[in-house]
Amino acid sequence: MRGADYVIKRTAFAVITVFVAVTINFALFRLAPGSAISNLSRVPHATQELREALKREFGLDKSKGAQYAIYLKQLAHGNLGVSFENQQPVSHNLWEALKNTLPMVLLGTVFAIVFGTLTGVIAAWRRGTALEGATVTTALGFYSMPTHWLGLMLVILFTGVLPTGGMANDFLINPSFWTHLKDVLSHMVLPSLTLGLVLYGEYTLIVRSAMLETLGEDYILTARAKGLKPWAIVRKHALRNAMLPIATLVALSLGYIVAGAILIETVFSWPGIGRAVYDAVLQRDYPMLQGAFLLLTISVVFFNLVADLLYFKLDPRITT
Amino acid sequence: MKKRWLSALILGMAALAVVAFASTAGGSSSKSGGTFRVGSSSGIDSLNPYVAFNQDAYSTFQYIYPILVQYDRTNVRFAPFFAKSWKASNGGKTWTFKTVANAKWSDGKPLTAADAAWTINTDIKYQTGGAANVAGLIAHIIRAEAPNPTTLIVHYKQAAGNVLGQFQQFFILPKHIWSKHTGHKGADLKTFPNSAPIVGSGPFKLVKYQKNEIALFQRNDSYWGTKPQVDTFGLRMFSNDDAMISALKAHEIDAIETVPATAIKTLKNAGFTISNVPGLDQTDFIFNSNPKKKKHRELLNLKLKEAFAHSIDRAQIIQVVFLGTAQPASSIVPAPTGSWHNPSLKPETFDLGLANKLLDKLGYKRGSGGIRVANGHKMVYDVIAPTDVHSIPRTFQIIQADFKKIGVQLRQKALDSSAAFDLMSGPNGKYLNFDLAMWDWTSLIDPDFMLSVVTCAQYGGWSDTGYCNKRYDRMYAQQQLTPDQNKRRAIVWKMQKYLYDQRPYIWLANDNAVSAVSSKWDGFTNTPQGPFNELSILSLTSVHQK
Repeated sequence: MRGADYVIKRTAFAVITVFVAVTINFALFRLAPGSAISNLSRVPHATQELREALKREFGLDKSKGAQYAIYLKQLAHGNLGVSFENQQPVSHNLWEALKNTLPMVLLGTVFAIVFGTLTGVIAAWRRGTALEGATVTTALGFYSMPTHWLGLMLVILFTGVLPTGGMANDFLINPSFWTHLKDVLSHMVLPSLTLGLVLYGEYTLIVRSAMLETLGEDYILTARAKGLKPWAIVRKHALRNAMLPIATLVALSLGYIVAGAILIETVFSWPGIGRAVYDAVLQRDYPMLQGAFLLLTISVVFFNLVADLLYFKLDPRITT
Repeated sequence: MKKRWLSALILGMAALAVVAFASTAGGSSSKSGGTFRVGSSSGIDSLNPYVAFNQDAYSTFQYIYPILVQYDRTNVRFAPFFAKSWKASNGGKTWTFKTVANAKWSDGKPLTAADAAWTINTDIKYQTGGAANVAGLIAHIIRAEAPNPTTLIVHYKQAAGNVLGQFQQFFILPKHIWSKHTGHKGADLKTFPNSAPIVGSGPFKLVKYQKNEIALFQRNDSYWGTKPQVDTFGLRMFSNDDAMISALKAHEIDAIETVPATAIKTLKNAGFTISNVPGLDQTDFIFNSNPKKKKHRELLNLKLKEAFAHSIDRAQIIQVVFLGTAQPASSIVPAPTGSWHNPSLKPETFDLGLANKLLDKLGYKRGSGGIRVANGHKMVYDVIAPTDVHSIPRTFQIIQADFKKIGVQLRQKALDSSAAFDLMSGPNGKYLNFDLAMWDWTSLIDPDFMLSVVTCAQYGGWSDTGYCNKRYDRMYAQQQLTPDQNKRRAIVWKMQKYLYDQRPYIWLANDNAVSAVSSKWDGFTNTPQGPFNELSILSLTSVHQK
């Protein structure tokens, strides 16, 4: 029963968070200086009629309260609205960008989780050795690197070796399935690697820290005394008990996947959601911004909820 | 357990690759050889002419839709295009165009003067709604008619001076496609996505388009004009100049439409052909010239403006900021527009001594820290500087250092362009609050547009100076209604001189259009807007492999 209470409370909290975020998203962009109309009406031969027509068309001639009511009504019908910039449904624009972003960001994140966890465990297990020093220094180095700088360095380093921009070579003439697959993967290497390297540093440091804490516990000493093999101690006793902070970090990372990676997408000309949001900010494309941030909110809240529920499973103390 | 984990990871990676593959697949319709690949750092915002705003979108329409006239190789005179000939009658109030016979749209349907008349009449009908985006192009037109398939007659309220300049930017749309999208009082014109493949009748067909990624054009074999030499050309969008230059060096693309000055030497050394021609973009220093502005009214004084103009070191700006790839600017109509530019206007000399003398004469004495005092306050001003014009921050630093020497302190207020314009035009489009700003303008060849941005009618629209002068507005209207182009030129020159003396702007640098192309390609027509541009289709219809 306590478990059911916990789940209901966390879920209710998540729903309230999303609603609050929806309201803040609506207000925030309208409070920012600049307007969609002044941007869109700056074309040669623009007339006063154009400005008035744009205002009417986007509903910006209505009061803020009326705009908010319309927005909520649309949301209730699952309608994210129409982009000011290209007049297409926001859901369509978001999906177009998201399907480009997800593979690249997910690949980099998975790389970081796997590689970062591995190096974090090794660094903790080999505490005080040169291996730990090298691992921590490397991780700190990558963690502290500005993402766009690392991306640019990789562009310079791999020019002519790997594709440095775009998602695929769209000029390939009738490529076979495998040629195209190889082409897509080769374009994904550098952006995913950039993201993976920066994130990996963070994972290494967090995992090492969590592992060091558990490795100092009495039950680890007991396991050693019982003659368990090192790997068994790490896997069954240390790592499992160090999973709470790691699970939180993984949930946070996964939650932010839909945000894309603006800097990486810009450096590598990746047509993903990060760039779409950046363009929407410059254009003051309110429906697009509201849609993108709603998606991000839901994603972050959802994965946090998953982490909360995982705690329930990972840490029996929560239920007692 | 371990194997299961590994299998899951491999499956996951494969799934990612397949998702990525699926999202980029779509097939290329390129033919072997003859694909010319251009890199662009701009982009196409929409394929619908009633929605699009970006320059690359307008350039795209030039290649896929018929236009009545285009610029010739000199980029200053009009040449026949879909209209083979034209003449004005009824005192310039009626224009008759003879159009190409037996032309076809890319879907095989006939393209006639009726399509042109329908487009013009539809734009007139919905100019305050769905067609507002193109309303400026049909200004003063009452109606159009097509008495036969090769004759288009356009009736004007008054004789107009810039008819051909307007029609050079006017895209004729296929009536049989677009007439289905005029519902909701024309509002549907804007919601029609007009996705690729698009029915058009230009030298190319747009066969593939992915936002922020690629626009692929295929030669239109049913085109009624001179056929392009390449089978296909593509526009690949980059959001980062370094990645674009790397792609060119790795031969992933064949040309770049705008090369940053810092990359010219590298690309030259790598064997690429660099085209470096005077362009149509000019940077400027802006005075809020609204006579009703409340604060810092000394900035309205023409002698102060003159002193500021003599404190700007254009030579240094060009050397440091543009690495020599720009020319000193002097007029609102830039020199590359040809005979529209008033050649008697010269950039003010850089003379801090003269500037100091002018300010001394105005009685602005130096106070603490060497800063002058005007009307009881220190001459310290904010300069609004939009962050999306890359040359501005460094240009500002040069100007700021020189202004310090004349006892004026400038502070940079960096904002994105939307916020910058909001602050400049505020409150409510009255231009009351800002003092100074910096920005840039990209001119068209016909001067009408550039001359319009300082008219009173542009308050809250294109105006970034708050300038409003009835005498100037009268001259503007006069040039618009002067069909004789020599007489119109005389008015245009007079207007430039008037603005030169009034100085809502101090013009800084007129930067070059620099493009790079692989040595394997030849046949470009240089234009002040690079190889892929909205001036004419000549570059990409004449480009060919060596």
